[in-house]
Amino acid sequence: MGGFLDYSPGDSFLHRLNPLAKIFLSLMLSVSCFVTDSSIFCLMIILLNIAMAAVAGISSRALAMLRTLIKFCAFLFFIQVFFIREGNILLSLPFNVYVTDKGAMFSLMMVLRLIGATLPLALMLSITKMNDLSNVLVERVGIPYKYAFSLTTAIRFIPVFTAEMAGIMEAQTARGVAFDTKNIFKKIGLIFPLCVPLLITSVRKIEGAAISAELRGFNCRKRESGYKSYPFKTADIGVSIFALTLAVAGVFIPF
Amino acid sequence: MIRISGLSFKYDGGREEALKNIDITVCKGDFFGVIGSSGAGKTTLLHAINGIIPHHFHGDYYGSVEVNGLDTIDNKPEQLAGTVGSVRQDFESQMVSSVVEDEILFGLENFSVPRDEIEKRMTDALDKTGIRNLRERNIATLSGGQKQKVAISAIIALMPDVLVLDEPTGELDPQSSRQIFQLLGELNEKHGITIVVVEQKIMLLCEFARSLAVMDRGRVVLNGPVSEVLKSSREMESAGVNCPRVVTLADRLRNENLYMGPVPVNIPEAENMVRSTTL
Repeated sequence: MGGFLDYSPGDSFLHRLNPLAKIFLSLMLSVSCFVTDSSIFCLMIILLNIAMAAVAGISSRALAMLRTLIKFCAFLFFIQVFFIREGNILLSLPFNVYVTDKGAMFSLMMVLRLIGATLPLALMLSITKMNDLSNVLVERVGIPYKYAFSLTTAIRFIPVFTAEMAGIMEAQTARGVAFDTKNIFKKIGLIFPLCVPLLITSVRKIEGAAISAELRGFNCRKRESGYKSYPFKTADIGVSIFALTLAVAGVFIPF
Repeated sequence: MIRISGLSFKYDGGREEALKNIDITVCKGDFFGVIGSSGAGKTTLLHAINGIIPHHFHGDYYGSVEVNGLDTIDNKPEQLAGTVGSVRQDFESQMVSSVVEDEILFGLENFSVPRDEIEKRMTDALDKTGIRNLRERNIATLSGGQKQKVAISAIIALMPDVLVLDEPTGELDPQSSRQIFQLLGELNEKHGITIVVVEQKIMLLCEFARSLAVMDRGRVVLNGPVSEVLKSSREMESAGVNCPRVVTLADRLRNENLYMGPVPVNIPEAENMVRSTTL
């Protein structure tokens, strides 16, 4: 299993979709989470994401991503839930701290929206080759190659930097730095100084990639240089209509 | 042909010149090896050939470098890219894609290679380096050696006139290293591609290269046919190059007038040397 956002090869129905259809589907899933007021609908979108990940053969990665998001969202939920004072009190705590029904609902919707909006984009990027994405942006959307390449390179570098950070942390752990501390502030204090070596290696990698791209004729590229073509097939149209329907349904869903 | 005349270069902020008055001519179709200790200027020399110097790494530049008649000052790296293919020492940074197939496609698409030819070139390049089975793999999941082969495949698919490689077998095991050199030898002999390679595995390099340059602190201290350069084992050692034992042995036998033949660069030649040694 690759890391976060690493391309996961496969030949599933979702893999074979036009990159634009995949991106549109993920965007509409994200939008539907934001336009709806229904927590059940949001939950269904999240479940749909997991089902799509299973179809694409990356369910273990999706679940790992979901676990990470839940941990992060739990933190956000507990911060948010104590700041909303309107509504009926559900739970009263010392020092005039209490949880209201409105606060709980708002916080729940916030985290469901966050998960529902993050998962589809991450999953779709995991089953889309960055080269296909940049080529389709050039060929079908008309974005200049330089900008499309910059966008996809920025996405591609996320897992590269994650791996780089893990490498730096491993090296520090080997020297006796205890990153497994339970104290969050201590952990932040240990990780923060690592940003400097990460920044240096990142800049070096980006510079190296830029030089290498130029040495392989990056600036000679023309719009029609792409090897593959990206027709919008019936399946792509069907998926796009389905995605749009979900987004519209999100507005009108009654429960 | 590569013609380097009076080339000196000092990096911005550098204390001393990384290259000092270099004069080298690499003939068309030559297999040219460069050896030297760390900091000798080998990588800088390759950067001067592919145009990274002076276009990316700035500094005080004197002299001239011409590759197939293209001056590297007047022509930017992308203009030279059709002529010079480069495999960099830090091959990880050479990767611009996340999938092997895309990595090979990148250069081919940039140079607008016709679509019907792309598949053939890509398959050939993957076959030559023996990584056809990795075509759909995510580059991040490959070993260092496999990544190095991907980097080499991506360049040879472009079929440049001149191939410059900076330690192309740095992360490879002995068998894969030999495979890469055999491939370079084949490209050189069958397709007439001029090869310039910096390498630390001297014996392997000497087996395939026809000419050799030894660098020391920015200077070329020895330059010529491999058999001639290897005769100067003392100079090589004083340049910080670990001379292969068989070369040192040949040198000592020659000094004792016990062997006057060519310097052996492989096992059969070493065997011949031992057999012909007069005791």
